[in-house]
Amino acid sequence: MSRSLSPTWPNRIFGKLKGLQIYALISAALSLSIVLTIIVTLFVQSGPVLLAENSGLMSTSWNPDKGQFGVLPMLFGSVFVMIIAVSVAFPLGLLAAVYIAETRSSRLRRLIKFFLEMLVGIPSIVYGLIGVAHLNIWVADIFDLQSGRVILTAGILLGIMILPTFLTLTEDAISAIPTKFRENAKSLGLYRHEVFFSVILPQAKTGIAGAGLLALGRALGETMAVMLVIGSLDRLPSPLFNPLSSGQTITSKLGREVAESAFGSVHFSALVFMSLILVSITVILTITSRYLFRKTPENV
Amino acid sequence: MCDRVNIRHTKERCFALVLRASLLICAGTLIFLLGSIFVKGIGAISLQFLFMPAMEFGKSGGVFYQILGSMLMVLVAAALVVPLAIGTSLFQYAFNTRTSIGYLLEQSLYALNAIPSITYGIFGLIFFVNFLNTGISWFVGSMILAIMMLPTTTLSTYQAMVAIPKIYHENAAALGLSKSQIIWRVTLPQSFHGIVTGSLIGLARAIGETAPIMFIATAFSGVSVPKSLVEPVSTLPTHILELAQQSTDPQALQNAWGASLILVLLVSGFSLLALFARSRLTGRGQK
Repeated sequence: MSRSLSPTWPNRIFGKLKGLQIYALISAALSLSIVLTIIVTLFVQSGPVLLAENSGLMSTSWNPDKGQFGVLPMLFGSVFVMIIAVSVAFPLGLLAAVYIAETRSSRLRRLIKFFLEMLVGIPSIVYGLIGVAHLNIWVADIFDLQSGRVILTAGILLGIMILPTFLTLTEDAISAIPTKFRENAKSLGLYRHEVFFSVILPQAKTGIAGAGLLALGRALGETMAVMLVIGSLDRLPSPLFNPLSSGQTITSKLGREVAESAFGSVHFSALVFMSLILVSITVILTITSRYLFRKTPENV
Repeated sequence: MCDRVNIRHTKERCFALVLRASLLICAGTLIFLLGSIFVKGIGAISLQFLFMPAMEFGKSGGVFYQILGSMLMVLVAAALVVPLAIGTSLFQYAFNTRTSIGYLLEQSLYALNAIPSITYGIFGLIFFVNFLNTGISWFVGSMILAIMMLPTTTLSTYQAMVAIPKIYHENAAALGLSKSQIIWRVTLPQSFHGIVTGSLIGLARAIGETAPIMFIATAFSGVSVPKSLVEPVSTLPTHILELAQQSTDPQALQNAWGASLILVLLVSGFSLLALFARSRLTGRGQK
């Protein structure tokens, strides 16, 4: 103990290092410790609700006054909204990406890519405003509802939000397939759809899957737009798969309630626990998608 | 034989049709999005809107202090993150000899990138506002935004360093330069474009973020220029959030569109600067 605190200790480690090296070392250590601090903080703050008795974490009722913190409605809401978003964005994005990638006009391609990159940058709160001002009114009119703030609206809005990301990554994956495969297939007399389904798709598969997972992660973590249009109702919809009822996702719940709950209470801890679930899912999705992206070039 | 060709031919026509249709739907949606932001926003923007403080809870007046608050917060965040990003990528590029640590660092940065923005807000609330007892403060907001920008900026800098042709370093070493001289003379100048591009992309993302700062750094009304580090400011995204929640009021909605257009223009401005920096600053011989 006394030895490690002696004045010679820093010199033993830092003595041989130059200024630049110390600076780089400290920066890297700081970056790592930030990540660690975030993870540890989330775990520690989730503690109270995990230790609390009868908190009913895996139940369907959320009622902080009675000490019930069932996260299932929020979890279900997140997954439901995500499924709607995906079924809007994936087919559209995939087909449009095929068109862009197989069109050999590089000017059109660059123009579209430029617009897409602009759209990826639009802040989510602006999408939320569009949802509040247009989409939720249209949904209410079409389905004859009192309020358009329902799961379907949130799903469609989220689908529109992840469309540019998915489209541009999918297009990259398809464009990355060397032209010689297309030329060979075409010279064998295959039609364009046959070239695509039997030559391009099998090779671009992993890249497209990576794009999909990344878009899924985005969809799950999105807060502002969803929060404004989902209606914020902490119950499972009834019947269960009714997209025209109001709901709640993990993110919208957090956005609405974190400011209202007292720091250190079981209520707050339950919110942090939900956030921890969310982080685990999105981190796993992103790291898997990175693995898939890295695999793509080796297969080609 | 003839029939099979016909079936294939029909399929081909259908395929082309479906592709065209989906491109049209995508383009239509996207043009509608941009169009409605521009058309509605232009109607709300005037010189008065740009240079007046907000009045009557944002229903009248302008967004001057919101623009100021947003810019202040992201620029300070960039100033915080740039030295850290350079140091971290320099460590990874020049000093790290262990693959395991490099792998850990890389995965941590990707994990940081994957964390949903709302979680940063909660982390900031727990760690800074309550644990370190800073209270609601714009500087805490800057720090959180800096953490959010860290992966983008670091990875962009690191990739620029990796892309420097090996022969540059070999030549410098053959001339007898020491390692730190090589870093100062070759590595840093040649990867400068990566630092600039990365931080501009980070800025474009950070300025539009609402969820990380809404609990910890902002107040809706009665805020002007902060006089200390621990005061709240008002920002464009949180202002839009408040106005969007009063969406039944046409006046509030109009101002929300105006603020949105300004925000989108700021984001696009940073993105365009990043594109420009990438093409202009990339070192000669390595384009």
